[in-house]
Amino acid sequence: MKTEAIKELLYKMADDLLIIGHRNSEWTGLGPILEEDIAFSSMAQDKIGQSQALFQLLHELGEQEPDTVAFMRNANQFHNAQFLELPNGDYDFSLMRHFLYDVADQLRFEMLANSSYEPLAKVARKVKGELKYHVFHANTWITKLGAATEESHVRMQTALNDSWNYALGLFEEGPFEKQLAEEGIFEGEAALQKRWLETITPVLDKATLTIPAASTWEPKLGGRNCFHTEHLQPLVEEMSEVFRVDPSAEW
Amino acid sequence: MYGNAYIDPNEKANGILAGEDPIKLKEFENRIARGEKIEPKDWMPKEYRKQLIRMIEQHAHSEIIGALPEGTWITRAPGFRRKMALMAKVQDEVGHAQLLYSAAETLGKSREDMTNDLIIGKSKYSNVFNYPAFTWADACIIAWLIDAGAIINQVANAKGSYGPYCRALDRICTEESFHLKYGHDNVVTLATGTPIQRKMVQEALTRWWPPIMHFFGPSDKISQHSEILMRWKVKMASNDDMRQQFLNMYVPKIWDLGLVLPDPNLKLNEETKKWDYTEPDWDEFKRVINGGGPCNAERLAVRRMAEERGRWVRKALLNKSEQYVTPLA
Amino acid sequence: MIKSLDPRITRENISENNTIDPLTPMDNWETYEVFHQKKRGDQHMHVGIVHAPNPEMALLFGKDQYGRRGITANIWVVKTANVFCTEYEDQDMFETTPEKQYREAGGYKVMDKINKYKKAQKA
Repeated sequence: MKTEAIKELLYKMADDLLIIGHRNSEWTGLGPILEEDIAFSSMAQDKIGQSQALFQLLHELGEQEPDTVAFMRNANQFHNAQFLELPNGDYDFSLMRHFLYDVADQLRFEMLANSSYEPLAKVARKVKGELKYHVFHANTWITKLGAATEESHVRMQTALNDSWNYALGLFEEGPFEKQLAEEGIFEGEAALQKRWLETITPVLDKATLTIPAASTWEPKLGGRNCFHTEHLQPLVEEMSEVFRVDPSAEW
Repeated sequence: MYGNAYIDPNEKANGILAGEDPIKLKEFENRIARGEKIEPKDWMPKEYRKQLIRMIEQHAHSEIIGALPEGTWITRAPGFRRKMALMAKVQDEVGHAQLLYSAAETLGKSREDMTNDLIIGKSKYSNVFNYPAFTWADACIIAWLIDAGAIINQVANAKGSYGPYCRALDRICTEESFHLKYGHDNVVTLATGTPIQRKMVQEALTRWWPPIMHFFGPSDKISQHSEILMRWKVKMASNDDMRQQFLNMYVPKIWDLGLVLPDPNLKLNEETKKWDYTEPDWDEFKRVINGGGPCNAERLAVRRMAEERGRWVRKALLNKSEQYVTPLA
Repeated sequence: MIKSLDPRITRENISENNTIDPLTPMDNWETYEVFHQKKRGDQHMHVGIVHAPNPEMALLFGKDQYGRRGITANIWVVKTANVFCTEYEDQDMFETTPEKQYREAGGYKVMDKINKYKKAQKA
């Protein structure tokens, strides 16, 4: 039972990281300016690496090899939030998603650094520095672009509006919330969402961007239970195209 | 990833030095002869500046365009390790473009001007990137053999006379050694893998061999022009010498894997100690370099798209009060 | 529309004959000189430039362009416009400096005298 709870937590985190890392890697070589192209690619690589580390923990709990799990499932077996599978759109949406997700990711790992499940706590402590940079990058871009020109302000506000309900879907609760909290493994999605709101609000204020009114909030749920938008299956097929040529082969 | 500067063989060499101050020219040439580097603000002949800008700019363009054929497979790399490595490799190519544009900027051409010349098709870049990467194995062959060729050229050019270019190349060569190992590892994995994998890599090699033979450019004509560029340490090795060096280092490694090269005449000539090969089709080379290759149009259209999609981002953060200052080194 | 081998490109729906306005001066922003310190205790070394619109982003970019491999302790960025340099044509100002033996350790050779003195004392 406890193992099931841990697996549920690991799967959603690993899938989140894999899918956002994959999406962000689509910008490599096509970014808005050379320097940012390089920076954004480094962070995408970090995400894939973090995902691999979590799939490794799952493997140690009896799941298949990381490559097999990551590259051989269909969309209806993925636990990532729907937010992360949406197409990149323009750089405004990609940056806003990077900001909203990476802050949540950093806070989640921060909470997990003291988890009673030591293997995960160890990973959390290891990726601390990477995440610090990701959030520094995101905060800088959001505050600069939000407050730069009318065009960039409108673009970033629109991106925030479009992202918002999807971003709330990051905190979809699972069946093991209570148990994970009682066991001291993970404090829970509600606590994470509260911290997330407290953290992003001052940054968005500085960026002169406005969080949509609470009355309009309708979290896009389902991702954690493997319900996805039409964008995930093509992504998964593309990602695994070569791997599936011969899944038994070493690539 | 770059072969060699394409210098129009029909360009007139006469009058290259017309109007240059003979005393300054002598000092400049003496400095190069002593093995010292030229730095950005030094006096230099107009032709030296012109040829260096052309060469470094072409090199930079080759890196940013070179990110596209391998980038073709970035969303499909098989497995975590390959996925991260290919992302890092393509990222490095972008990084190399940044370093090279920076070096060219020190000679007085802005990055914006260089980009403009690329996207309207005025500037050249390495011809190989006008060929497509049909399969994952094509990306592996590029990573191994095109990067191997590029290293030969870059190691030679790193001993050239212009300080900023040499410094950029030193950094680039260090990174290319990862690319070479990465590429070799990929090709070996496919060649020693399943029959499907082996077939994939053989087909890719067969496709890429003609562009690889083109990579260093046609035989150099002995001209007054190329003599001067050699003396100024702008051009560091002849195209044929580099091709020979490449064949010497890599044909045995390819044959070790039991792969077949599509040239029945390719062999080491015991008498000359040089490689004999079927003369590459230089008409094809010219056709492709002048826009007629399978991917020329796509490559430039993609660069235009990327520049345009990023424009609002760059424009938003532009400082109206700033003035462009040429980078120092 | 380009049907590319690269699915990322195909999704962009690009026309092969797309045209764009040329980039205008400063489109790629100003430049910052980047200094990289490998380990604590080392000197910061000049490693190159980044194009950036402000110092914070210059640091972000400097980290990944010059610190994405190997070890890094610290990075500095300085706007190129704020760096003052000597001229290479004034390099002759430094020409005789290496000849000033009186300020070099190697300019002082006392052993000859000591040995001579010791010899004299013995005798």
